[in-house]
Amino acid sequence: MKIMLKEEFLSFVDGLIESMDVEGVKAKGKKFVFDRLGSSEELRLDYDTTILPPKKYFLPQYETIMKFDLSKQFSVKKEEDHEKRVIIGVHPYDIVAIKQMDKYFLDTHPDDLYFQKRKNTLIIGSNILNVSEKAFFGDMETGYVDSGYDLMITDLGDRVAIEIGTEAGRDLLRGYSLREASTGEIEEVKRIINDASEKAKRGLRVKPQKWHDLLEKSYNSEIWKKQAEKCLSCGTCTLVCPTCFCYDVTDEIDLTLKEGKRIRTWDGCLLRNFTEVASGEIFREKTEDRYRHRFNRKGRYLPTLLGFVACVGCGRCSSQCIPDIADPVNLMNMLAEEVSHLEEKSVSPHTETIIQSTEVEKPLYVPMPATIKNVKKLTKTEKLFEIELDNGRSLGHMPGQFVEISIPGYGEAPISVSSSPDGKRFQLIVRKMGDLTSKLHTMKEGDKVGIRGPFGNGFDLEALRGKNLIFIAGGLGLAPMRSLISYVLKNRMDFGEVTILYGCKEPCEVLLKEEIEEWEKREDIQFLKSVDRCPENEKWSGEIGVITSLIPKVKFDPKNTTAIIVGPPVMYKFVIDDLKNLGMPEENIIVSLERRMKCGVGKCGHCQINGIYVCKDGPVFNYKDIKDLPEAFT
Amino acid sequence: MKTKVAFFDFGGCEGCQLQIANLEEDVLELIDIVKIVSFREIMKEHSDDYDIAVIEGSIMRPMDEERLKKIRKNAKILIALGACACLGGVQRMINQWPVEESKETVYGNSEKIKDNPYFDNFHTKAVDEVVKVDAYVPGCPIDRNEFVRILIAIIQGKKPPLPDYPLCVECKKKENICLFEEGKLCLGPITRAGCNAICPSYGSECEGCRGFISHPEERAYKEVLEKYSISVEELLHKKSIFNYRYIEKKRDKNE
Repeated sequence: MKIMLKEEFLSFVDGLIESMDVEGVKAKGKKFVFDRLGSSEELRLDYDTTILPPKKYFLPQYETIMKFDLSKQFSVKKEEDHEKRVIIGVHPYDIVAIKQMDKYFLDTHPDDLYFQKRKNTLIIGSNILNVSEKAFFGDMETGYVDSGYDLMITDLGDRVAIEIGTEAGRDLLRGYSLREASTGEIEEVKRIINDASEKAKRGLRVKPQKWHDLLEKSYNSEIWKKQAEKCLSCGTCTLVCPTCFCYDVTDEIDLTLKEGKRIRTWDGCLLRNFTEVASGEIFREKTEDRYRHRFNRKGRYLPTLLGFVACVGCGRCSSQCIPDIADPVNLMNMLAEEVSHLEEKSVSPHTETIIQSTEVEKPLYVPMPATIKNVKKLTKTEKLFEIELDNGRSLGHMPGQFVEISIPGYGEAPISVSSSPDGKRFQLIVRKMGDLTSKLHTMKEGDKVGIRGPFGNGFDLEALRGKNLIFIAGGLGLAPMRSLISYVLKNRMDFGEVTILYGCKEPCEVLLKEEIEEWEKREDIQFLKSVDRCPENEKWSGEIGVITSLIPKVKFDPKNTTAIIVGPPVMYKFVIDDLKNLGMPEENIIVSLERRMKCGVGKCGHCQINGIYVCKDGPVFNYKDIKDLPEAFT
Repeated sequence: MKTKVAFFDFGGCEGCQLQIANLEEDVLELIDIVKIVSFREIMKEHSDDYDIAVIEGSIMRPMDEERLKKIRKNAKILIALGACACLGGVQRMINQWPVEESKETVYGNSEKIKDNPYFDNFHTKAVDEVVKVDAYVPGCPIDRNEFVRILIAIIQGKKPPLPDYPLCVECKKKENICLFEEGKLCLGPITRAGCNAICPSYGSECEGCRGFISHPEERAYKEVLEKYSISVEELLHKKSIFNYRYIEKKRDKNE
């Protein structure tokens, strides 16, 4: 540990201000914020906590992630941020949160935008002198860190104690006079750390290692509902949280109509529309479900996924939630009263420091240019687009996977690939629904679009080989399923008996009419179709009734057949119940689920079903693996 | 061919149109992408040949209704501009009293205004209570950048963007101190975001000029007010400034 005289430290800060962007803690009214420092005099190392955490430097509230030149057919340029930055005064609990953020954004599908900002930023931590009323980092054991910073300082009044964390930190100090700390000074720093941690104990009765079990056992507790009745659904708890990372992405076009940009901005799972998909379906519509999701994500889902409890005890959520229902200490204690015994897991808020050892080169969000090679109108609202990547390579997808298709200025949308993986071209069946798909419907052969992907888990072809298969598709569910049907029919000898059931609302909604005629003619498969109703002026040769009415009409051995089910959310429960009643084992049921898959890479948070990310872990699932997820089939 | 846009004012202060006139150099870019055929504040010419009609102000009289219906017939797309057009504006507060009573209070027992169509007021209405509205640009005054965003979206064939989450989201992103903590009654938790929390950013509580979100958590909000010892009367008063429409709707539902 080194010691620097306070005056020397202030000139050190002023020296930094001259050479780079220095962000530090400043007063804002009676509160504190991280903000650009104009002079060392503004720096307030005696702060208790800031309104927003320093996550805003790595995941800004609004961030241009790419720019478009709309005068060209498809011209997208990734936004670079090379500014060197140092943040002074980061408390240990926020350093723990930044380490979690590193893991979240850099672990799988590393986020280059995050990485660039993070890599260009040095962190000068500061041990805590004053503790805010709601902080509980003492309970969470996050009042002290021994890594994750470049320098860690402790304000000792007329002197500043400095712990050097990295070589980059050491370089900053070059040219300033330091001396070794005395034993007394080392003790003084220890005392400051201990005092803060003691003050930041608020009587949390369930330690973070037990949150997982507590939340699992309390999933159906009445407490969620009772608390959520007071919730404003304003998103504050998520926005001010250092370990909430969910974001949304929107396109903007400027007044010249020649340029535009794609913007990433903070989103929050407490907001009502967070899970809304283009068709208007909201998957977590009840306030209590959203309220419960937030705590489960912190105490259960992220610990399982990444090995840390995503709460660092900063107390920002509790102090800024005006109905006062966001406090994890209160909530955990309340839940604990209903549960007698709790198992421990070896997780805590702490996680390893990975930033120094990470390199990220590939851009995660920049779409590949691609060309529409053919457009075919299927129904009034659906078209089939045949697309080829401009780099000449094939998409390399598995049946069941999806891509993010993008049009500059109109956004991005997840669309399942409808064709089997052969040749350079791939097909997407797209319903005209939102801005992007409406624009896509106006596009013609030769027009350019952007493609990211393929993403997600497709159908496990190896596992299906040799099996008897029954496909059950409802409405637009035929689109993703068709990639597998085509594959199976092209490799018919590799599979056992094949049955296809297809249902939609009315005859005019039937997709792929010519192909369906082929299926009807084939003698090596069973095919049945139905519509919910047939208006008098329309012709229909199939059955009338809901899709489940087709199941008893075909011959198959439920015990030795694998079912593949894709359809609107409401369909799954009924079809699955019928199959189970016929004796089909749960592990023989495969589904593909729809959710709001905004980023495609498990980061933005919108597609989460309890602890799983549909974009990454799905969209294709074995029913057995997700049947116990309360949010999967609602 | 450029999209032709016409601006019309009804019962209001014309401040929202002024916001657009105040786009300054951006106006030049605006007239690069659309053709403005009628805009009283910036030009003398007028034409009834337009694609987009932008309506400012609330509807106060039978003659307004007639005029508005004619405009609707001429326009392919109709935009309601500002709190008056979207909600009825502050003048909607007058709907608390019978029309005749209000008239007497304002004009006295004057014979002069009798049978004068200009004074033939009924209870204040928002534009969509008379004709179909395709896009809303809320606010008092409007945020001119939002107007531009919505106009561009319409030209591009996109759904006019309008956030449906509470103002708190933008206020938090701006790192403002919550005004409830200062003992103020802020309508932010139930008000539609999109203004970038401009009033709270300057220390003034939100008065709800953008209208409420589609699913405000009313019950939770009332509990918060209780917690901060704010009376129901105070809340009603604040709500009636811009959202008397909302109070009327609730009252009608209860009746």
